[in-house]
Amino acid sequence: MVKGLVADIQRTSLHDGDGIRTTVFLKGCPLSCLWCHNPECISFEKEIMEYPEKCIGCGKCSEGCYSGAKVVCGKEMTAQEVFEQIILDKPYFADNGGVTVSGGEPMAQKEFAGELIELCKKNNINCAMETSLIYFDEEIFKKLDFVMADLKIWNDDLHKKYTGVSNKIIKENFESLNSLRIPIIARTPIIPDIDQELDKISEFLKTLENVKEYELLPYHPLGIAKQKALKKDITEFEIPSAEYMKELKKYAFIRRQTKLDAQNKDKTYH
Amino acid sequence: MLSYADRLNSMRKTKIKHTIEKRKQNGYTDLDDFGTVPISEGYEVEPWYNSSNGSFYGYDGMAENFCRVMDAHEPYVDPMEMLCGRWRDMLVNYRGDVHYLPDWLKKKPKIMELMASATDQWSKRWDEQRFPYDELKPLQEKYNIQTGIDSDAHLACDYRIGFELGFGGLLEKIEKFRNKNPEKSDFYNAEEKTVYAIIRFIDRHIEKIKELLKTEDRPEIKESLENMLTACENVRLNPPKTFHEVCQWTAFFNCASRVCTRDGAGFQMDTILYPYYERDIKAGILDDEKAKFLIANLLLIDPHYYQISGVDENDKDMTNHLSYLILEAADSINIACNLTVRVHENCDKEFFKKAVYYLLKNKNGWPRFCNDKALSEGYMKNGVDKKTARERIAVGCNWMCVPGKEFPMNDTVKINVAKVFEVALNEMRNEENRSTQRLLELWEEHLKLAIDITAKGINLHIDHQAEVTPELVMNLMMENTLELGEDISKCASLYTVGVDGAGLAVVADSFGALETRVENEKVLTWDDVYDALRNNFEDERTRLILNSSPKYCEGNSVSDKWAKRLTECWVRNIKNQKMPKGRCLVPGWFSWARTIEYGSKVGATPNGRRAGEPISHGANPNPHFRTDGAPTAQSNGIASVQCGYGNTAPLQIEFDPGLSADEKGIEIIGRFIKGHFSQGGTLININILDKEKILEANENPDLHPDLVVRVTGFTAYFASLSPRFRQLVVDRFLEGV
Repeated sequence: MVKGLVADIQRTSLHDGDGIRTTVFLKGCPLSCLWCHNPECISFEKEIMEYPEKCIGCGKCSEGCYSGAKVVCGKEMTAQEVFEQIILDKPYFADNGGVTVSGGEPMAQKEFAGELIELCKKNNINCAMETSLIYFDEEIFKKLDFVMADLKIWNDDLHKKYTGVSNKIIKENFESLNSLRIPIIARTPIIPDIDQELDKISEFLKTLENVKEYELLPYHPLGIAKQKALKKDITEFEIPSAEYMKELKKYAFIRRQTKLDAQNKDKTYH
Repeated sequence: MLSYADRLNSMRKTKIKHTIEKRKQNGYTDLDDFGTVPISEGYEVEPWYNSSNGSFYGYDGMAENFCRVMDAHEPYVDPMEMLCGRWRDMLVNYRGDVHYLPDWLKKKPKIMELMASATDQWSKRWDEQRFPYDELKPLQEKYNIQTGIDSDAHLACDYRIGFELGFGGLLEKIEKFRNKNPEKSDFYNAEEKTVYAIIRFIDRHIEKIKELLKTEDRPEIKESLENMLTACENVRLNPPKTFHEVCQWTAFFNCASRVCTRDGAGFQMDTILYPYYERDIKAGILDDEKAKFLIANLLLIDPHYYQISGVDENDKDMTNHLSYLILEAADSINIACNLTVRVHENCDKEFFKKAVYYLLKNKNGWPRFCNDKALSEGYMKNGVDKKTARERIAVGCNWMCVPGKEFPMNDTVKINVAKVFEVALNEMRNEENRSTQRLLELWEEHLKLAIDITAKGINLHIDHQAEVTPELVMNLMMENTLELGEDISKCASLYTVGVDGAGLAVVADSFGALETRVENEKVLTWDDVYDALRNNFEDERTRLILNSSPKYCEGNSVSDKWAKRLTECWVRNIKNQKMPKGRCLVPGWFSWARTIEYGSKVGATPNGRRAGEPISHGANPNPHFRTDGAPTAQSNGIASVQCGYGNTAPLQIEFDPGLSADEKGIEIIGRFIKGHFSQGGTLININILDKEKILEANENPDLHPDLVVRVTGFTAYFASLSPRFRQLVVDRFLEGV
């Protein structure tokens, strides 16, 4: 079994898709979005994250840090080892909960991600992926129950400027993914400082029938503490106001009804 | 014209006002809200002390003082309500127990004199002059055992007995059996005196209502007061006949039972009240809105532990229309509330979803959930049939009881297993071959001694409770008591006595840290650890090396394995303990709200806990058990340490899932509850909280006087808790964010 470099495994993840999920964050991403909230998942190498406020000044760093002042991010694990963590929460998954393979860019560790998804599917666990769609692999994607993918900026030059890569391939991969008939949740992180051209993104996504939902996610500065811990340059952006998000809501859409919604559409609990 | 909603709103506001006043009168209190109202101006009780010990005991002492406290109670009638009656004071306040001493009583020299010789482990509630146990005390202290000697009220009445007879019928029953058993006249006289005190309490309410009626000019309130008057007049002697009357009867009984021994055990509310509901609906004298108002009123009067839904002995769903109305009623008043929803795969799924909806909507810690299957199958392993096991209901923080039949002392007997661990660890100190395996052997040896001494205490208590603290009010609705002229402690059908271990996570993580850091990694030696414990972790690095070891509830961790081994050992030794007279011990994991007190008795432990810091809560993990604080990980860990004999190791959890009370939120929380129960979990005490609100309230409790949290099994107004206890709740909460 190939080993993957795993940044973190987060259980009881409630906001990365339906149901109760376990999110596996893989390390390494070819994009370098300036607002990234998981900057520890950009590098393909293990990294030390430093939190000097936790240092007790024992002077024994070389013998191992136990205070949390220096934390290694990145653990080599086989898909089986990760699966053993995932399976612990199977009693909570039911039909729609499960695992979300995230990152970083999970498809950057394609072989490992493929093995992990294969293992989960064999055990009837719902599998989702959060991806930038910079890569496309039909075999892997076909096994997924749904995909969460970003289209961050419409204009390619701006996309290159803020993420480091062209969005041409991403748009093409959106179309390819659409043809696989896998439900897609498309998303855009909202950065008020950038003209993202949400109208064009929204129009494009509407042409893809398998985009079941288009979500707008307000930028949040949670990544900054981690950037500091990684001693990376920090770029701060404006946090979109609630009013601004409300204004943009017209671009978002939901096409799907979950099974549960459909069953209960006429029911109220009050 | 005032609508039901207007009146409920007014009742809720009055409740908040009372909560604030009570805090001023009582000081901070880490106890259940109890539903009490503030002490009225000039309230005074002169207790009758019948022992040179300075306290009062026995049928005469309890009955006389019950009458004195009850008679001192002014009637409580709020015209906004449909039911009347509240309690303010309880006998235990006068009996020398440091856990129950409100500030307003601290001004009484006699009380303080009595209190002077009481400690948190030994109160004056037990008559030690007549029933001494000095020979047990050294080991009780050594292992920090909460002995249960002097406990009361931890059983459950069969309300159907009282509903069938009424107070008049109970008097007749007392008279009938007193004639049959004249040698038991002390018992019957005390019971009779008790019932008359309750009737006088009702009579004062009748007078108060009449007085209020003279000046009440709002037609709808006047009518309501007239109905209240009729209900009170009917139930002072007669059995309750209508839904209104049965609620009023319950309210009066509960006040009396609380005053006597703080009894908070309610009943299976939906099935027991259903016949009254159905009859009145058919008769056209009740509609759903009125029924909801009455239930809300009853829940306001006292946060007794009521249970709803579940399955019967044939696994048939018992959920009925009233089950729904009870949830709606609780929502309409939305205060501290101890409703437990029984969960079973055969139960009405819509009802379960509705219960979860209210948990999410109100974020006030109710309802909580228990697992019918695991609890009844476990209880049957004590040799009890399925029908009886299914009658066993959730009537306390962590505990279950078969109403009318069982004398479980549940939640009153605890062994601080962290203290037992400390003794074992100290004993191993000078041994040549120190290992976690050897430490486990020593822990088990000391555990056996602790259990044996605990059992002796339990037997002493059961043998003599009748002569010390007879259950005068509860005896009225138990099987065999009035018939035989015996206190329930003498004549219960079932003596399945609960013994809870407290401090599991401290011990499991200590074993885990020793195995990881000393035995496997060899980062520390045994001597390093002993030195660090002796000097209370002067070297912070050593503490962190131990504290950062994998913890219980992390998932497949070394400490998870230890927690399971410790549980097996705990259960085996509890069940192996020989007990006389058909009694048996039933294991559980629970600390109640005494984690601070128990922790203060234990020195530094190898999990990196400093001397005197609180021990872990119930079966919960220690703080920082995972970086993500995953509730599912906590749930799995706790499901894996269930003791399996029908008593609980509750999952106590608080978190802000950032979910709305919509389909997705309901689905997720419902799935979480069912996931825990599918793995054998027994009880979930759950707080879905609003992060901002609880942090604000911790800074300034007066900002949110209505914020309710489920502290352990009970709910309390956050503003009434002591600052230290508030912080514990907040720390637990932050763990789950």
